[in-house]
Amino acid sequence: MTHVLRAFGAFLRVGIGTMIQYRGEILLWAIWGLVNPAVLYALWSAAAQTHENGEVAGYGRGEFAAYFFMMMIVGHMTTAWDTYEMGYLIRSGTMSPKLLRPVLPIWEALASNLAYKLVTLVFVVPMWILFALIVRPAFHGAPWQVALGVVSVLLAGAMNFVIGYCVALIAFWSPKLDATGEVFFGVGMFFGGRFSPLAALPPLLGSIASLLPFRWMFAFPADLTIGRINHPYEAFAGLAMQTAWLVIGIVAFRLIWRSAVKRYTAVSG
Amino acid sequence: MTPPATHRGHPRAHSPPPIGPDNMPLSMPQIAVNQLSKSFKVAEREGGFMPAVRSVFRRKYKQVQAVDAVSFTVEPAEIVGFLGPNGAGKTTTLKMLSGLLHPTGGTATVLGHTPWRREAAYLQRISMLMGQRSQLAWDLPAMDSFMVHAAVYRIPAAQYKSTLDELVALLELEPVLKKQVRTLSLGERMKCEICVSLLHRPSVLFLDEPTIGVDITMQARIREFIRAYNREHGATIILTSHYMADVTALCKRIIVIDHGRILFDGELERLSDRLAPFKVIKIDLSADVTNYDFAARGEVLSSTGRKVELRVPKGSAAAVTTRLLSDLPVLDLTIEDPPIEDVIGRAFLDKSAAGSAPAASPSNSDTVAAGAGGRT
Repeated sequence: MTHVLRAFGAFLRVGIGTMIQYRGEILLWAIWGLVNPAVLYALWSAAAQTHENGEVAGYGRGEFAAYFFMMMIVGHMTTAWDTYEMGYLIRSGTMSPKLLRPVLPIWEALASNLAYKLVTLVFVVPMWILFALIVRPAFHGAPWQVALGVVSVLLAGAMNFVIGYCVALIAFWSPKLDATGEVFFGVGMFFGGRFSPLAALPPLLGSIASLLPFRWMFAFPADLTIGRINHPYEAFAGLAMQTAWLVIGIVAFRLIWRSAVKRYTAVSG
Repeated sequence: MTPPATHRGHPRAHSPPPIGPDNMPLSMPQIAVNQLSKSFKVAEREGGFMPAVRSVFRRKYKQVQAVDAVSFTVEPAEIVGFLGPNGAGKTTTLKMLSGLLHPTGGTATVLGHTPWRREAAYLQRISMLMGQRSQLAWDLPAMDSFMVHAAVYRIPAAQYKSTLDELVALLELEPVLKKQVRTLSLGERMKCEICVSLLHRPSVLFLDEPTIGVDITMQARIREFIRAYNREHGATIILTSHYMADVTALCKRIIVIDHGRILFDGELERLSDRLAPFKVIKIDLSADVTNYDFAARGEVLSSTGRKVELRVPKGSAAAVTTRLLSDLPVLDLTIEDPPIEDVIGRAFLDKSAAGSAPAASPSNSDTVAAGAGGRT
C-alpha cells in the first residue's frame, strides 16, 4: 500500500502539472459546471414565484437558491470523465502502457480527477461566492448538518468516481460505446435530483431514485447541508447508504476489472 | 540459435543448478513459450447499405488466428529478433509475453511468472517499449514522467539518480529533459521512451519497433544503446522491427513469423542457408557483350548495360564464376549473399510454408518450417 501511495502522490503531482498546463480549458469546464445549476435555479425560482405560497415541493426561492448552490459544489466534487474517456483510451492504444505498470490504472485516473478538482477550486470558489451573493440562498442547516454535509459531499465524490469507473469498464467489452458517459451523466442528472429536488418528482420516480445510487451522489449531500434532513437518524442512514454504495462500487470494480483485463484486446497497438 | 544451457556440455545432473542474477537456475530459459495461441473474433460484413442493415439482425463473425501454437525458448541475456510482415503475429506474441493479452491457448513463463497473471512482481521486472505508443505525459517535460516512473516502480532514490544520470549521458538527453514531450522531435521522444523504459532496470525487455520513424543516424544510436544495455545488465531482449538493419545489428538469433506461425528459428547467418541457399554474382563488364546466354548460368536478376546480376545455387557459385571469368571480359566480379530482406520476403511469399508447417519447436539447432527452404 505504501508504494501505491507513493505512486499516487507522483500521479497527483503530474496531474496538477497537466491541469495547470491546460488552465484555460479547465476554466471553461469549471464554468460549464456552474451554468447548469444556475439555469435550473432560475427556472425553479420562477416556478416557485407562480405558486401562491411561493413554494414548490416545500422549496421557496431561497431554498432553491441554497439547493442549486449546493448542486454547484456537489457537481464539482463529483465530476469524473472516465465514462467518456475509457473507450478512447482503449481504441487509441493509450491504455496499453498504463496496463503494463505494476500499479492499477485506476490510481492514475483518481489522481488526475483529484488534481482537476483541486486546481479548479481557484476558479470555482470565487464563482460560488459570487453566485451566493447574487441569489442569497436560504440555508437552514445547523452546524451538525453542515459538518455531516461536508462528509457527505466527500463520500459522494468518492462513490461517483468508483461507480463511474465501473461503468467506464464497459468499454473493455465495447470500446465504441462512447455514449456510455452521456447516459450515465443524464440518468444521474435526473434521478440524482440535479434537474429538480427529488421531492418535486412524481412518487413513482422518487421511489426508483431511492433504489439507484444517484440520489446519494447528489440530492442527499445537498439536502443534508442546507438543512432539509432534520433527524440525525436520517442523516446517518444516508451516510451509511453512501458508504454502502462506495463499498459496492469498490467490490464491483475488483470483480469487473479482473474480467476486463482478460477481455482487453489492445486494439490498434 | 544459442542452445539451451543444458545442452552446452555442463554436467549438472548431480549438483543443484547455479543461481543466476534473477534468482533463477541458470539452466532455465528466461522465456519459455509452449504452443501459445491467440485468436480474435472479428465482425465482418460486405460494404454497402443492405449488408449494413442485415448485419443488425444477423452479425457474422470471423475467427482470426493471430498466433498459432508458437513455441520457443529464450535464454538469459539473449537478444532475439522477431521478423515478419504486418499482421504476422509478432506484436500479439509480445503483448502476451508482457501480460497485456490473455492467450486463447498454450502456456508461457517469463522470469518464472505467467505473464497474463500480471503480478506486480512480474511487471516490475519487465519493460515493453512500443514504438508507436507513448508512455510519457504528453504535456509535461519528460522529467515528470521519469519521476512518476520512479514512484510506480519503487526505484530507490539513489538508484534512480544514478540510473537516470547514466541514461541521460548515454542517450544525450540533457537538452530535451525540460522540454514538453509534445514539442520533441520523434527521435528525441523515442530516446525519452527508451530512457523511461529502462529506469527500473528491467531483466526482460520487449521492444516493439523501437526505431520506427526515426532517422538512420538515430536508429544506429538506439541500436548501439540497446546492445550496450544488454551487455552491461545481461537483459534478455525480444525485438520486433521492420528495419532489417535493427535485426542484423543486434540479433544473432531470429524468429521469422508469418500467419501466426514460426517459419524459422535460428541463427541469422543460417537463415540464408535454410531459406535461400543462393549466391548473387554481380558482374561489371569491360566491353559490351551480345548474344551471351546469361540465363544458362543462373537466374538473371538484372541486366543493365555492362552490369549483370545473377542468382545461382550456392553449390555451383564457384563453377559459374570460373565459367563467367573465362567466357567474358570481366572488369569486376563480386559474389554476395542475397540481401536478408529478399530472403525473408521469399519465405513470406511461400504460402505453402505458412499453411503446412508445424510450429517450430525450440531446439539446440536451427529450426525451419517444412516447405520454406525449397523455394527457388
